[in-house]
Amino acid sequence: MIFNSFEFVCFFSIFFILYWFVVNRNLKLQNLVLLVACYIFYAWVDWRFLAYLIGSSLLNYYLGIYIEKSTKPGVRKVLVYIGLIQGVGGLAYFKYFNFFISSFNDAFNFLGSGLNLQTLHIIIPLGISFFTFKTLSYILDLDKGKMKATHDWVVFFAYVAFFPTIVAGPIDRAKGFIPQLEKKRVFDNEDATHGLRQILWGLFKKIVIADNCASFVNQCFNNYHSLPASTLLLGAFFYTIELYADFSGYSDMAIGIARLIGFHVTKNFNFPFFSQNIAEYWRKWHMSLTSWLTDYVFTPLSIAFRDYGKLGLALAIIINFTICGIWHGANWTYVLFGFMHGCYFIPLIIAGTMNKKKKAAANKTVPSLKEALNMLGTFILVMLTLVVFRADTIKQAFQFYHDLVSPSLFSVPVLSIFDTHKSKVLAILAFIFMMFIIEWFQREKDYGLQIDFLKSRFLRWSIYYAAIIAIMLFISKQETFIYAKF
Amino acid sequence: MERNQILDQTTAIFKDILDNETIVLNDTTTAEDVEDWDSLNHIQLVVAIEKHFKIRFTSMEIQSWKNVGEMIDSIKSKLPEA
Repeated sequence: MIFNSFEFVCFFSIFFILYWFVVNRNLKLQNLVLLVACYIFYAWVDWRFLAYLIGSSLLNYYLGIYIEKSTKPGVRKVLVYIGLIQGVGGLAYFKYFNFFISSFNDAFNFLGSGLNLQTLHIIIPLGISFFTFKTLSYILDLDKGKMKATHDWVVFFAYVAFFPTIVAGPIDRAKGFIPQLEKKRVFDNEDATHGLRQILWGLFKKIVIADNCASFVNQCFNNYHSLPASTLLLGAFFYTIELYADFSGYSDMAIGIARLIGFHVTKNFNFPFFSQNIAEYWRKWHMSLTSWLTDYVFTPLSIAFRDYGKLGLALAIIINFTICGIWHGANWTYVLFGFMHGCYFIPLIIAGTMNKKKKAAANKTVPSLKEALNMLGTFILVMLTLVVFRADTIKQAFQFYHDLVSPSLFSVPVLSIFDTHKSKVLAILAFIFMMFIIEWFQREKDYGLQIDFLKSRFLRWSIYYAAIIAIMLFISKQETFIYAKF
Repeated sequence: MERNQILDQTTAIFKDILDNETIVLNDTTTAEDVEDWDSLNHIQLVVAIEKHFKIRFTSMEIQSWKNVGEMIDSIKSKLPEA
């Protein structure tokens, strides 16, 4: 059940009425209705892993209570390790077991030994990477005394399974989210308006831009060996936009849906393509994951390596981003993607500019030439790594790079490839341009369509209708969300 | 060393590392109250504090501080009594 589907609209409408108009006077009942809705949403996609989701919630709920109660450091440590082993072990088994086995087989075959360990038929539970990171941060924050354990099982289970974010995040921390579940929620018109606007902006990015880019990108990556380099470059450009519009569009919808039911979910994107360098880009892209990794991977590593100066910092960053890469899935392409991003930080570490936070064109309408070139450079660096991210194998990625470096790079790109017509490609380019213009002027806001500053009601509604008409006109083959598979 | 002396010297380190002369620290100050005090700068601050006071924190100590007050307590506990 994806957000931009008829069945979700039906599901959410029923839930919304029950939640705000039937059980709204009793917080416990309201949370229970929310929890049931979360499990229906989850089971609708795949009921088989409901037991794993509930089991994981149950274990971590009790671990949380006992970690808080335990006075003996040894016992506390054992309880924390149980939580970590369950979370990391679950991920390792469901997501990475077959990857480890096939990598072992490949390594041994390369060394001349005919090892052939059998892989297993494993189906990955929906959203496992997202809800596992929630339970892990809960256990780790409790251990560090950063928060108190909740003693309300419905609250904890609803935090883990919260339906707007379970499929692809944002990854909310318990410290900020559980208090929202524990206090009475009142329907707020302004919040709901923001929520609806953000959903509309997310839908626009997903349906008009991402889904339409997808058909060109798929054709391009499936037939890269027979296309000129300039078309491949356009394909890589479109994939970069597709991924951004798809994932940030999903995040906007998730945040908007959560707002409609009275929750403030953590921000996931902050207009990353206006970044001046790769460090700034990662502060603005998939922020809930990068801040999670910063707190639980990068910080401990950089503390451990602090005696080695810049070398220690580089090592901590490369390990952090390699883990970030493999978090996306069991494929060497993701490992290489993360490693490349880690390496991108090295010049910034050497120059000591990694942490310089300068807002592009602060208080100005147009960026300076230097700022524009920095943005373009950052975009190109990201786009090059996304070729690896999109490829099925590292070999395919390198072939794509190989085909990209050819004299045909300077030819006019072929816009009509297979079932994608030139006029459609030009229309997508126009929409991408429009999206970036809107986001540039709205870069200090939470999302592109946050136009509450416009006094004219007529103008605001004209913009909403324009977005709705564009969605209806340009709706194409419905694609699932890219990050839902992670 | 007195606690307020430690606080003054720590404030000077913060001003130097974060390149911000307006920083004023007290026991309840957290990273959210100081611009640019993020995870990356935090490590630089820790290294500078360790160097200045000639002390060594454990990884657990560094990650357990919830505010400046707890950081100052950690520093004080490692310095010889006057």
